[in-house]
Amino acid sequence: MSERLLGALTRRRARLLLLAAVLCLPPFYLDAFWLRIGLFSMAAAIGAVGLALLSGTAGQLSLGHAFFLAVGAYGYAWLAGEPGPGLPPALAALLAVLLAGAAGGVFSPVAARVKGIYLGIATLALVFLGHHVLLTADSVTGGFNGRSVPPLSLGGFTFAESDPELTVLGVPFGAEERLWFLGLALFAFTWFSSRGLLRGRPGRALAALRDSETAAAVMGVDVARHRSAAFVVSSMYAGLAGVLLALAFRRVVPDYFSLALSVDYLAMIVIGGLGSVAGATAGAVFVTALPLLMTRYADQLPLVTAPGSTEGTVGPTEAARYLYGAAIVLVLLYAPDGLHGLARRARDRLRRRRTPTPAPDTTVPTPPQPAAAARPKEHTP
Amino acid sequence: MNTSHRTRRDRHRTAGTVLAGALALLLAATGCSSKAEGGDKGGEAADGVRTGPGVGADTIKLGALTDLTGPYATLGKSIVQAQQMWADEVNADGGICDRKVEIVVKDHGYDVQKAVTAYADIAPDVVALPQVIGSPVVAALLDDLERDKMLTFPQAWAASLLGKDAIQVLGTTYDVDMIAAVEFLTRTKGLKKGDTIGHVYFEGDYGANALEGSTWAAGKAGLKVAGQKIKATDTDLSAQVSALRKEGVKAILISAGPAQTASLVGVAASRGLKVPVVSSAPGFAPQLMKTPAAPALAAMLNVVSAAPAVSSDLPGVQRMVASYQKKYPDSPVDSGVLSGYNAAQLMGADLKKACEGGGLTREDVVKAHRSQANADTGLGTPQNFSDVDRPAGVKTYVLKPDAKAVGGVVNAEEAHEAPGVEDYLSAR
Repeated sequence: MSERLLGALTRRRARLLLLAAVLCLPPFYLDAFWLRIGLFSMAAAIGAVGLALLSGTAGQLSLGHAFFLAVGAYGYAWLAGEPGPGLPPALAALLAVLLAGAAGGVFSPVAARVKGIYLGIATLALVFLGHHVLLTADSVTGGFNGRSVPPLSLGGFTFAESDPELTVLGVPFGAEERLWFLGLALFAFTWFSSRGLLRGRPGRALAALRDSETAAAVMGVDVARHRSAAFVVSSMYAGLAGVLLALAFRRVVPDYFSLALSVDYLAMIVIGGLGSVAGATAGAVFVTALPLLMTRYADQLPLVTAPGSTEGTVGPTEAARYLYGAAIVLVLLYAPDGLHGLARRARDRLRRRRTPTPAPDTTVPTPPQPAAAARPKEHTP
Repeated sequence: MNTSHRTRRDRHRTAGTVLAGALALLLAATGCSSKAEGGDKGGEAADGVRTGPGVGADTIKLGALTDLTGPYATLGKSIVQAQQMWADEVNADGGICDRKVEIVVKDHGYDVQKAVTAYADIAPDVVALPQVIGSPVVAALLDDLERDKMLTFPQAWAASLLGKDAIQVLGTTYDVDMIAAVEFLTRTKGLKKGDTIGHVYFEGDYGANALEGSTWAAGKAGLKVAGQKIKATDTDLSAQVSALRKEGVKAILISAGPAQTASLVGVAASRGLKVPVVSSAPGFAPQLMKTPAAPALAAMLNVVSAAPAVSSDLPGVQRMVASYQKKYPDSPVDSGVLSGYNAAQLMGADLKKACEGGGLTREDVVKAHRSQANADTGLGTPQNFSDVDRPAGVKTYVLKPDAKAVGGVVNAEEAHEAPGVEDYLSAR
């Protein structure tokens, strides 16, 4: 029995290592366009995991995610840059994450009091407030034109084009290639820390809160404290995503951190499947990379013409929007529990087919036990 | 005990195998990675011209980051078509530097993230960008453009874009336009010391820069400015008209989009606030002359612009309008056509000059551009690109809406430099 468990663990670890190795490959092959898409996806995944924790697990609807991303991005640019304190970039990145957490903490009394759609509206105010401050506080944010982001450096190694010049296996390592590995590291940190949180006591307490506040309180969960803690942690992940986004963009502008960005993040966790880390990641990649890739390659499709040509009515951007919309509808129709649920069901079916035991219970699809515990319930505001 | 020991070693072995396998794969595979070859570092073509990214043996590739599906779709379409027309004309004449010109168009739909990715996509393959639409897009790309030394003509005219070697604002900046507008009002509409003028402006770069100019000029002329900040999404300006009316304004400046101009003029006329209105160049589109606001616009509005009206009798403009109408009979001829064509011609002049200097690398193109002190395309006033910190032009036209004219406007005043512009620029 224990041997089987260990065997499963080993296989799991081997799979993880293989995955890590595969994820290390793209910088050696793909050009800056693909790496940027990858970086944006990784940053979005980090942010989406934060929102999944808050909205998916704790059941608190937040439309203010763009604001916390902005706090992280601008916090880093200001703390590490000129004008600004000009701190060492690594310290500035850490402080920016803490700053986003602090912003979440300041807002958390509100989050502890209102819930459901009301919290959504309250957080909406943050986005507009933030956007206004970004435009008007010129000395800190650079106003409309934003400010450039100083590259991150760790112990003499800079995540930029040069300093030091770096060539690995004959491939010149520029900013995107280096940032790719930074993004991977930050994402791995997010993945493991958030799974730890979700599978431990805090995650169970939050899920209990989402399902029934009264029942959770009866079982000894401190309702107000857990609600605000979820908000703070979620904001910190958003801050981390903001820092990575800022590094990938190399210049932060206020117009990016709009309400549309918040809605995108909500779309990520819904498409991915509420309440799971893997789902949020899949959703983030879906929402971030798909429109960019479709816009790039839609002109290969029949009936779609190159941008700017006079004949034909559908340009690549329009075609990409139709396709993206259709993809969302399809996912929501055929996988109401998101990409994560879809993957789980596919895996179950595969496993059942592989074990040829004609036991009578195979006809009844019973989900595996641990998955059932983490299964998202319908959101009841 | 024994079994668990074995499994642990097994685990190590599996992990080791996977790692070694992955490394071997990596090593073997990078051997055939195209990135490992060092890429296209440029060099010297067969005809002795130094080449860099975007320049091949017989092509020169230019890039355009435009908006064909977002709020500026009409403008984007006009510019793309005008520049394509220019490229076709140049290629029919044998090209530049014995190379065909090709324009790579990318549509970002006014989305910063899409634009930044599209830039990463085309940057290695183009030598310069004769078109970038969208102030937030330009802002997000500022550092990249400077680093890549990519000569760029943004379709934005804020003074904050000056002072950057690779980025060239064509014509006048918004503040210079507004100084000319205030001067026009005092000279022809009888405004005198102590009067108040209203200024309705977009939040952001465009409005802020325009307000800077109007405030400075009003201060010089002894006028007061009553500012009204609006958002790009505000299309009903009734509240602003009421507020300006309460202030007793004698004239109104507007630095916003066409929809806002139409609303402002229409509402003001219907409420009996019949004062002269002067708009910045982006605040007018020929489509406005087909709206119910057209009579009011014709009666009250003037537009200050660095470019002449499309209906102007400059031979260069007339020739361009004729060939554009022939090539794209269904498209309206608006100011975007003129500015796009003008930008493309200036880019062509830079490329020719760089070619004469023996090199078509990005550095050569920027250097050639900065050496043009009197660039005249015959489509307006000559421009001076040699001073990075100064607007390329200081002369402005005053235009007047006219429903019957091509492009909906006619020239009301020929190009001239408003008195005080020089003082303003040296004081800045």
